[in-house]
Amino acid sequence: MNSIISVVSVTRQFGEIIAVDQLSFEVLPQEIFGLLGPNGAGKTTTIQMITGLLGLHGGEIQILGFNPQQNPRPVHQRISYVPQETNVYLDLNAMENLWHHAALYCEDLSTVHQKINELLDLMSLWNRRNDAVRTYSGGMKRRLALARALLHDPDVIFFDEPTLGVDVQGKHVIWEHIQKQRQLGKTFIISTNDMMEADRLCDRLVIIDNGRAIALDTPEDLKAGLGQDIVTLQTLETIENPNEIFDCMDINSVKHQQPGVLRFEVSNAELLVAEIINRVQRGNHLEAIRISRPSLDDVFLEYTGKALRD
Amino acid sequence: MRRFVLLLKNEFVLFRTTIPVHIIGIFQPALMFSLMALVLVTPVFDMQVSTPGAAIDNELVSAMQDVRSPIGPVYINPILVDVSPGEEIQGGQLIEFVGNEGERTAVQRFGLIDSNMVKNFRNRLTSAALVLWNESLESKAISIKQVPWLPEDIPYSVYFGMAMMPLAAILASALIGAFLTAQEFEFNTIIEYRLSPTPVYIILGSRLLRLSVTGMLSGMVLMVVVGITTGIWPSSLIWIVAILSVVALIGGSIGILAGLILKKVLPAFLIGLALSFFTWIMGSAFGLAAGFSGPYEAVSRIMPNTYAVELLFPLYYRVEIGSKFPAILFLSISSLFVVLITMLTFQKTVLNKG
Repeated sequence: MNSIISVVSVTRQFGEIIAVDQLSFEVLPQEIFGLLGPNGAGKTTTIQMITGLLGLHGGEIQILGFNPQQNPRPVHQRISYVPQETNVYLDLNAMENLWHHAALYCEDLSTVHQKINELLDLMSLWNRRNDAVRTYSGGMKRRLALARALLHDPDVIFFDEPTLGVDVQGKHVIWEHIQKQRQLGKTFIISTNDMMEADRLCDRLVIIDNGRAIALDTPEDLKAGLGQDIVTLQTLETIENPNEIFDCMDINSVKHQQPGVLRFEVSNAELLVAEIINRVQRGNHLEAIRISRPSLDDVFLEYTGKALRD
Repeated sequence: MRRFVLLLKNEFVLFRTTIPVHIIGIFQPALMFSLMALVLVTPVFDMQVSTPGAAIDNELVSAMQDVRSPIGPVYINPILVDVSPGEEIQGGQLIEFVGNEGERTAVQRFGLIDSNMVKNFRNRLTSAALVLWNESLESKAISIKQVPWLPEDIPYSVYFGMAMMPLAAILASALIGAFLTAQEFEFNTIIEYRLSPTPVYIILGSRLLRLSVTGMLSGMVLMVVVGITTGIWPSSLIWIVAILSVVALIGGSIGILAGLILKKVLPAFLIGLALSFFTWIMGSAFGLAAGFSGPYEAVSRIMPNTYAVELLFPLYYRVEIGSKFPAILFLSISSLFVVLITMLTFQKTVLNKG
């Protein structure tokens, strides 16, 4: 399948700081593509370069067959960008915000009225359409931003931190809307540092750290790439000699996360759990044991040596 | 065209994001005029006179009542008061008669007033003495006949209000333009404009037209207040609308420029405020620029207010003060110039990639 977005060796600096460094990836049509990384990793800068809001210092970008740096107008007609901070007019109501966007973006103004009504209904904002946006919850504001982004029927929607500051219930609602729109043919590029969001929402994602792509795949394949289960032990005292205790068990990536908390990776942990408990209790007081499948945080840890939250 | 109308409508809807600024911009000049008109120099002065003690005292009081504009109101309203000789006065002035019959002196004492008021009181009493002198000396006196150029004696408060009308138009459009534009950066709504495929002249055109209309309305509010308080109205409403719209367009451009360059609401607002008052004071605020010489007139010749006042003057005073062409030319060129600069700055600060 031909890519809808192609990012090749893109670099961007701010003074001495390299915000994006030789970044490359492709996005396929009707895909929810994630840019996952900690704050300051270069996710927003990447989105702004693809949309043509920021210039490049190296590399090349193609979106919908156009170079957004050289030919932004046809690109802007077919994309939407929802920034991190919900940039709506707080003193206006939802209808007025949408009309404002329509005047700036919609090619066919004759159908706008109907579209606005449909989108407000779709985003469950119809009953609050005449209230000032200032009175909305964080989730409602994000839904309004998404409604606005969809108003001119773009092919590609860039959603920077879609659920930042939104409660858990609100997150699920927004994820559902994004998935529905994808089924209707839209392509989404989302940036996030929320692993659950990346895991549940994205078809594929690129993990970015310090402006560099460190892994690119589906969330499932990224996690499967680690191969092993993760065991976390909590003991009263710190286990000083884990390799001796677990001799012949083929444990990997042993790490003291904090005093009394030991983390390691091992294959088929569920079969070894009794043996692990037995060995630990010989010289230590075991308080808790947790066995989990690798998460995206583990993937990030594997590639960078630090947790995404660090 | 439909897009432009829709954008224009949206611009007016954005009123709700800046309600206090709209109130200040539209009504502050009218309020300022109303308050200042209370303390402005008025043609008729109340002058306190202690009870006359001699016939000649009464003649001077009668002469005071005859001092008037050659074409307008009386200048002195003598008020007889009972005061003890030498009694302290706190404000204004008091005229007391002293001396013997045949050698009377009218002593004018001033209270806590400024030198300008002292000058005005003194001039009026001197005029009364001159009237009395003319009447007493009859044919031996030199009569002074004053022939005014204007057909009607218009109170100074009318000039003051008229010269404030361009200020009102510029103040409203500059403040609102600065505020609206700077807050687009603060609330990040500027991204909506950055990614919009709509051409810049449509986006900015709608904002400038809206600011021009708002500024013009502010000037019109002041025109109504001036008319109600003084009873004097301009001879042509269309000219007023045209003049105020053009100066408001200049003010709106200045405001948008301040917002685009500073990107923060408070500094942009303050710059808009400062520039509005600067162009007012240096632009014939207290008298036609031609009446002042030297540096003031030189500076006033680059202020749009100067030319707006020169175009407004005939509408209030019913006289032509020369060709309108230079004023119209200056306002046309300067408004086109600032609009062009605003468009280029918008392109540079909003549409250009970082």
